[in-house]
Amino acid sequence: MTQQNIKQFTKAVGNATEINELLRRYGVKFGIYKNGVFNEQFFPFDPIPRVIASEDFKSIEKGLVQRVNALNEFLFDIYHDKKIVKEGIIPENFIYISKGYLAQCEEITPKNRIYSHISGIDLVQAKDGEWYILEDNLRIPSGASYPLIARELTRIAAPDAFSENEIVDNRNYAKLLKETMEYANCGGIRAILTPGRYNAAYFEHSYLAEHTGSVLVQNDELFVEDNILYHRTYSGGKTRIGVLYRRIADEYLDPLNFLPESLIGIPNLMEVYRSGNVGIINAPGNGVADDKGIYYFVPKMIKYYLGEEPILKNAPTYLPFYEEDMKYVMDNLEKLVIKDVAEAGGYGVVFGRDLTKEKLEEFRRTIIGEPRRFIAQEVIDFLDLPILDNGETVMRKADLRAFVLSGETTKVWASGLTRFSRNPDSFVVNSSQGGGFKDTWILK
Amino acid sequence: MTTISKEHSDRLYWLGRYTERAFTSLRTIQKLYDKMIDDRRGYTNYLKCFGLNDTYGSNDTFMRSFLYDDCNVNSVAYSLERAYDNGIVLREEISTEALSFLQLAKDSLGKSGMSANTRLSLMPLEDLLFGFWGCINEHIYDDEIRNIIYIGKTVERLDLYIRMKYPYDIAEKEYIRLLKNLNRVPKGTPYRYNTKYLSELVIIMGTEEDYGQSSEKALGSLEHLFEPTGVTV
Repeated sequence: MTQQNIKQFTKAVGNATEINELLRRYGVKFGIYKNGVFNEQFFPFDPIPRVIASEDFKSIEKGLVQRVNALNEFLFDIYHDKKIVKEGIIPENFIYISKGYLAQCEEITPKNRIYSHISGIDLVQAKDGEWYILEDNLRIPSGASYPLIARELTRIAAPDAFSENEIVDNRNYAKLLKETMEYANCGGIRAILTPGRYNAAYFEHSYLAEHTGSVLVQNDELFVEDNILYHRTYSGGKTRIGVLYRRIADEYLDPLNFLPESLIGIPNLMEVYRSGNVGIINAPGNGVADDKGIYYFVPKMIKYYLGEEPILKNAPTYLPFYEEDMKYVMDNLEKLVIKDVAEAGGYGVVFGRDLTKEKLEEFRRTIIGEPRRFIAQEVIDFLDLPILDNGETVMRKADLRAFVLSGETTKVWASGLTRFSRNPDSFVVNSSQGGGFKDTWILK
Repeated sequence: MTTISKEHSDRLYWLGRYTERAFTSLRTIQKLYDKMIDDRRGYTNYLKCFGLNDTYGSNDTFMRSFLYDDCNVNSVAYSLERAYDNGIVLREEISTEALSFLQLAKDSLGKSGMSANTRLSLMPLEDLLFGFWGCINEHIYDDEIRNIIYIGKTVERLDLYIRMKYPYDIAEKEYIRLLKNLNRVPKGTPYRYNTKYLSELVIIMGTEEDYGQSSEKALGSLEHLFEPTGVTV
């Protein structure tokens, strides 16, 4: 079965209404702030799956394991000897200027030397079938819960689609996550730290807590005593936490080490972590490795740390920081996509072709003034996927977030979050920008 | 291993209270609906039970407000919204399945508001709330967690029954249920009873006569039942 004979199983999967009603029933929502007001929305699901052939997935899997292993090596190196900088593979400038680099993490070695336990790697497939890495998310990549619950529900709504096709069962994510958490556990219960009910990904936090048997906590339920992290119980007692899957950003994690004004952090958490008394998933300081500027160097990291050729390609990328690349960017700005390295979630992405002549010139000057702030990429004409739109099948841009879990071994979840743009002219697929999602079928 | 935070214990308690409030209000309003077939202002006694003025003027206006208006704090819609608000932060404790019954109940009430036959359209809602309680029994293995929800449920039911002047034999059964739930609460936890107020309640609920004469005092005892001040055992 291939994406080409999609019509055959579009029918089998049934109509979107039934599945979306089930998703609504089970509260599959994400929050969004618009004009300062919090709204919860149901995440639009398209029933036509993305289909990845077994051989294709094996190759992606190898490439992702290789990439994440190299990124974990990089993180250890950067917070210890910095050999990759000393040997001139990555300019020093790119490390220390990165907002993701945290001096507070220097010399910290997490349990089993794993920094990125859960990596969300965004890929696109070009029309020639080649897969390209678009970005690495090594801080708090979200989205796994959506295809996880969607698969459970599509199996209810359209059982024939699964009995008639040989599809790898993806409902093991919670098990993989639990194993990953246990591997990082320093002795105690598993907890998932959420900023609370009004966080965009609250559904995911609570769903993963339920399915991994972890306690869902907020900062005011936690405290540090004698260099141990505890959960404060309602009887006035305390329960030791051995591993904390935090879903809040580094800078808010510990007001005594990072932003003092953080109201959602836990004072002294970093001391507990530094002493090896709690595992934090993912490790603080990972932002230095998923910085859009560092992305350019990942293929070099793979060669440097693993002595291997990269299996998966980066999208062709230019760093205006380098003189030669700056010249290319200036000469070709109208055909490139420019990304602000400090932005995420689909923000800070500008397509040169969408700018007026005046805006193009203004942008040119901004890049010259702040060359480290931007990267430029060739626009990959990535594969359109079919989606159902009011009963009609239309083609839309889509990407794939693959989830790689690093525990005793590095494993790629045989699924992923396929996000698509609902706007026919857009390449931006983020849910915060109105995108939807579909299931990802890996064929046996 | 159980580890319940103070906030979650409060959420569990109020989940029980609001779900029960929605359920008992729904059942009572359905009985009123039957009464209204013969009485143009069949709801006035109900308002009196809660000390509310009659600003409704007609059976239909009353029904719409007390069933569907989520701005009316005494409506089924309001209670369901609050139950869901508490439930959504307890997913890992009560289960996605249990939470889904509250979502379905909200949706069902919304559909009922657009139906030509109110009474018939409300029947599935009652079934869904039974489904919710079935999930609570089925999916929650931790006795402490389940008991806090049930304490909320029985406190709310007894409170409503007393306000609506239910016959003693019915109220007494709920009171005995509450006592059984209270006895399961570990010492030193927030829903361990306050001896003073429980003693008051025990005296009032002890005889039909005291129940008939001291209902206001019984409501006060229920309100203060978990006050941390005073002696707790």
